[in-house]
Amino acid sequence: MKLLVVEDEPSLLSSIIRYFREEQFTCEAVSNYTDALQRIEDTPFDCIILDINLPGGSGFQLLKYLREDKKKDGVIIISARNSLDDKITGLDFGADDYLTKPFHLPELSARVKALLRRKYSDGNAVVDLDVLLIDLASRTVTTQGQPVGLSKIEYDLLLFLVTNKNRVVSRQAIAEHLYDGPSDQAPGPEFVYSHIKNLKRKLKERSCPDLIQTVYGLGYKLVV
Amino acid sequence: MSQPLQQKNTRSLLTWLPLVMLAGSVFFYLILMGHIRHMKHQQLLLKQTNVWKAYSIDPARFPIEIAGEYQITPSATPETQTEDSADLAYLKQTYQLNGKPYTITTYISSKEYHHLLIKVSIAEGIVFILLLVAIVIINRQESRRLWTPFYSTMSAIRAYDIRHSKSLPLDSTTGTEEFDQLNKTLRDLIDHVDQAYRNQKQFTENASHELQTPLAIIRSKVELLIENPGLNEDTAQLLQEITEANERLSQMNKNLLLLTRIDNGQYPETEAVALSPLIERLTHFFREYYENEVAKTTTALQPDVHINANPALIEILINNLLRNAYIHNLPGGWVEIRLSGKELIVRNSGPAVEGDPERLFDRFRKGRVDNRTTGLGLALVRQIAQLYRHDIHYTYQDGVHQLQVIFS
Repeated sequence: MKLLVVEDEPSLLSSIIRYFREEQFTCEAVSNYTDALQRIEDTPFDCIILDINLPGGSGFQLLKYLREDKKKDGVIIISARNSLDDKITGLDFGADDYLTKPFHLPELSARVKALLRRKYSDGNAVVDLDVLLIDLASRTVTTQGQPVGLSKIEYDLLLFLVTNKNRVVSRQAIAEHLYDGPSDQAPGPEFVYSHIKNLKRKLKERSCPDLIQTVYGLGYKLVV
Repeated sequence: MSQPLQQKNTRSLLTWLPLVMLAGSVFFYLILMGHIRHMKHQQLLLKQTNVWKAYSIDPARFPIEIAGEYQITPSATPETQTEDSADLAYLKQTYQLNGKPYTITTYISSKEYHHLLIKVSIAEGIVFILLLVAIVIINRQESRRLWTPFYSTMSAIRAYDIRHSKSLPLDSTTGTEEFDQLNKTLRDLIDHVDQAYRNQKQFTENASHELQTPLAIIRSKVELLIENPGLNEDTAQLLQEITEANERLSQMNKNLLLLTRIDNGQYPETEAVALSPLIERLTHFFREYYENEVAKTTTALQPDVHINANPALIEILINNLLRNAYIHNLPGGWVEIRLSGKELIVRNSGPAVEGDPERLFDRFRKGRVDNRTTGLGLALVRQIAQLYRHDIHYTYQDGVHQLQVIFS
């Protein structure tokens, strides 16, 4: 999968690139408007991670150019401007998703993968991990041929871990991902532990091997 | 003790004017009396001269006495005497005629003069009182008229609110130089204060905004670091603490930014927001998220309650009220949410808060030492409630916290 990251802050850009390279993405990094425009014209990307405030122009302009040119590249906006207007403008201009800075890298990764899944799967979206089968359309989980009854939070938690499989996901990233309220007002990660415990118990009851590892107090990792 | 200007002015007039008038009256009375005495003396002298002249021409035929007018008596010794009583005044003087001394006593009635003195004094008193009343009335009228620009300036200042008012609507020409100066000074002052206030707010917003980037960088680096295969328990503990501190900082910063944006009126769009679906959605999340801590959640929501507000802000208000109820709870505790057309009540079991409950809504004020919260959640709730003029009340009784939002 080819990914273009457009971000003017070099340190943040290098973090994003490094994170996605470990996911076996082919990543390209640009940090200004002109370079970004050049790359977009030259090559189609599966997904573009796009900052709004760029030296030399706005991410919105790039997005507009892209869509007027009928290019199908998936676009996720990352912006420090947490205003509803920016979000609406971005989605109106044809962005596929919008993420406010500061974000968690596993969250960005999950958004990118969800976008690619929507883009390339033709309807029957299923995540198959051999021991675990997740049907995204009906939001059901089966293991060893048996359905596992999960609450909404447990399902979201499992899907998030599966999407970020073999990566350590921090408790904070999980708490914010599970949260269903206004952005910036998520509760703390203290109760992530109990949901992980419930999820592990339910999977174990259905004879699913233990996939979820605890990484000290930091976070969790689903290993396949 | 302070008194109104009018009252003070009248009071000083009423204290000093009567004193001045009283002194004036006494002075007037004394002068008048002196003049009257002089007049009587002159009159007695004139009468004596006339009587003596007539007597000297023909002593035999001139009557030597007319009662109440004069009396001529031969006298052995020369004498001069005056007497002035309330009824009568007389003058005794000795004259020589053909070597023989005669004493002439002339009389005039004092009564008329006395009456005149009284009448003039009363008239003068009446005039003084009328004058006093007139001065007080004119003074009050005039000062009310003179101070009108001052009072309108005062009410303009009173209506001024730095958060909402743009500038101070003051007349630049009041017709009185001092008030023109006062208004100009006040306008300049307000402009400066307003400018400083705006700069301050802008600074907070810019500072919070600029802080976002380094916070995001720290977060991303820590997230890369926790995947380091060389991680051991000791470094993991350190990373955990860095993460927690960074997340708190990040959360505080976001809330500060939000508070400033609300302050700066950056959420102007409003619409009729349906409350019960919003509350249901958020409650659903919190109930499930805190299912292992809070045992029971009850809701009684009246459908079709709408309030006019910015949907994003109302969501934050309700979210923070609920989050607060779940975080500051007891193991196995409960949360109760009630919505009616006039109020929203969130009640929950929980430990008592320390300190003044009124100050719970202040920024960075926390009910307990708790590193899970930023101390800005309820400040946001109040800020949003105030923006839409909803009243908000907090009470704690018998282990039950209650937050009540009364819709405007």
